[in-house]
Amino acid sequence: MLALQKIYHLVQHAIRIEIRNKHGILGLLIFAIAAVYVCYQTTGSSVHSESWNALIWVVLLFAAFNAVSKPWADDSAAMRSVLFHTVSPQHWILARIIYYTLMLCAMGLAVFLGFVIFLGLEPFKSSSPLHFFLGVELTAVALAALLALIQAIASRAGGGFSLISVLGLPLIIPIILISTRFGSDLISGMAFADTAHHLLFLATLTGGFVALGYILFPYLWRD
Amino acid sequence: MIHRSWKIIGLALLVYVAAMSFIVPLGPGLIDFQRVTTTERLDASPEQDAPFYELIGIGTHWNALNEEQSGQLKCILKHESQLAELPVVSITDDQHAIVKVDLPDTLPSKSWDVFVIHPIDGTLLLENGLFLEDQTIEENYSWTNPSIEQLESTLTFHFPFQPRIFESIRNLMWHVPMWFTMFVLMGIGFVASIKQLSAQNKTFQFDDQALASVQTGIFFGALGLLTGSLWARYTWGAWWVDDPQLNGALITVMVYAGYLVLRASVQNRRQRAQLSAVYNLFAFTILVILLMVLPRFTESLHPGKGGNPGFNTYDLDSTLRWVFYPAVLGWILWGVWMYRLRLQFNRLDEKLKRILH
Amino acid sequence: MILQVNPLEGFFFGSGKAMVAAGVIIIIILGLAIWMFRMESRMNRLNQRLDMENPGPSDSDKS
Repeated sequence: MLALQKIYHLVQHAIRIEIRNKHGILGLLIFAIAAVYVCYQTTGSSVHSESWNALIWVVLLFAAFNAVSKPWADDSAAMRSVLFHTVSPQHWILARIIYYTLMLCAMGLAVFLGFVIFLGLEPFKSSSPLHFFLGVELTAVALAALLALIQAIASRAGGGFSLISVLGLPLIIPIILISTRFGSDLISGMAFADTAHHLLFLATLTGGFVALGYILFPYLWRD
Repeated sequence: MIHRSWKIIGLALLVYVAAMSFIVPLGPGLIDFQRVTTTERLDASPEQDAPFYELIGIGTHWNALNEEQSGQLKCILKHESQLAELPVVSITDDQHAIVKVDLPDTLPSKSWDVFVIHPIDGTLLLENGLFLEDQTIEENYSWTNPSIEQLESTLTFHFPFQPRIFESIRNLMWHVPMWFTMFVLMGIGFVASIKQLSAQNKTFQFDDQALASVQTGIFFGALGLLTGSLWARYTWGAWWVDDPQLNGALITVMVYAGYLVLRASVQNRRQRAQLSAVYNLFAFTILVILLMVLPRFTESLHPGKGGNPGFNTYDLDSTLRWVFYPAVLGWILWGVWMYRLRLQFNRLDEKLKRILH
Repeated sequence: MILQVNPLEGFFFGSGKAMVAAGVIIIIILGLAIWMFRMESRMNRLNQRLDMENPGPSDSDKS
């Protein structure tokens, strides 16, 4: 119970910091909407269903990277040495994953809504867009779990955005491969039940990443 | 001498593999079953209106039998459970024979598998070897059902014939061990990284081990990609095909390249050891997922398609096993040797840096 | 069956694709050779750096 409370407070703290500087979250939203709008302008409103599928995952991927690459106030040396004595690293990484999950799920929602508004629901003639949305959100969770640890490694290494991309992009490809396959299955009219095993696989991957983060983060944490 | 024995064993195995992979002949197989016009055949009697087809084999011994054994070459058409024997008109040479395809007007299928049965070569198959256009098709039409006894090849030691792969099956002894070696080396790196993390930075020797194993592993990964690309070009027709196994291999190499980038961007020795060990554990997990788990769940062109990333469906027959397993072991030993050389060098380099600064 | 688009294709498809196996082996041997050469030059660099630091009697003086 105590652990849950601590994690809750950490997440709350992170969100409060995020809200306090409004530019951060606004910038992300503008990035996502601008990316969707560029897709709309380049393909036109009558977009091919395969490119619909491809574009949404690419936009989501880059939005996620953008969200994660923001410098984190708690990564500064002074803040870290305070946290080091007050918070256990396991709570800390879980809080971070939860925070990223909330953020990326919101991004996923924004991107999905943007696609629905600008590019339409043409591809979903025989399948439900809600199922697709479920896939988007699950992908966001998986990305959050993976990127939380990658971001921690990169910020400890002091490498910034380029290091996050170099370390993160190859690791993310399996997630995106599964997601795109799920999306194209849905769009090609396959029943949700027949392609739901992709979601199960995504969930397993997420669990694996969370477990890895939970085990490995303490080693990153200490000096 | 004893501490060198494993290196000598590795070398001996590779010498054996190199020799065997070229000495052992390729088993017999069928390449084509194509229609020949009567003008090409001088001995064809003009009143015969049934078409003649030429069977083309590779590594076969159709002409090798003596007089009383002639007529042993059998050509059989098969569709599901329906079988029909075709008369062999003449045997041109070991690899070529003429068959008369005298079929009724109504048949259950357009496409037929062609079997060739011969006492020396055993039973050979050409899938969908015959495709008919003139006949009317009735699915339920049943046709003659002669009983066929399948013969096993009497040839003893040869590599199995595979459609489209032919002689390039010998690559199995070279291309595939690269991946096994990479896997073993990355495994060494994985164990070293775990040790490094549990050693709590009291020593950096495990970090050195992890670095050397990843460096050597990437080398084998790159060789695997290059050789695989060449093989793919002449089997599937493209240097790169979109395939889970291939994607996984490329991503794995990129993930480990990220490991080297990470190391280069951290100057502090303690921090570098720690961060790269954490990342290496992550990378190995991804490697296992990409190369062992994901290909099992998706359709793949790669041997051991859908369900098996390895080679079981490759019908790795006993001859192939005799060469393939030593090849894998030999390359792994060789790779470990290279890893140890690299490790020695890295340690020297590190020591020199400490002396100079 | 055996497509011959250009001479290179013909070479690799020739003799039942045996040349593909040869190509693969050549790639591996070349790769090993590159590894050896790079290792050698790295060792040389190491040696030279050590010589610069310790300009005592070195191997080059004896020979």
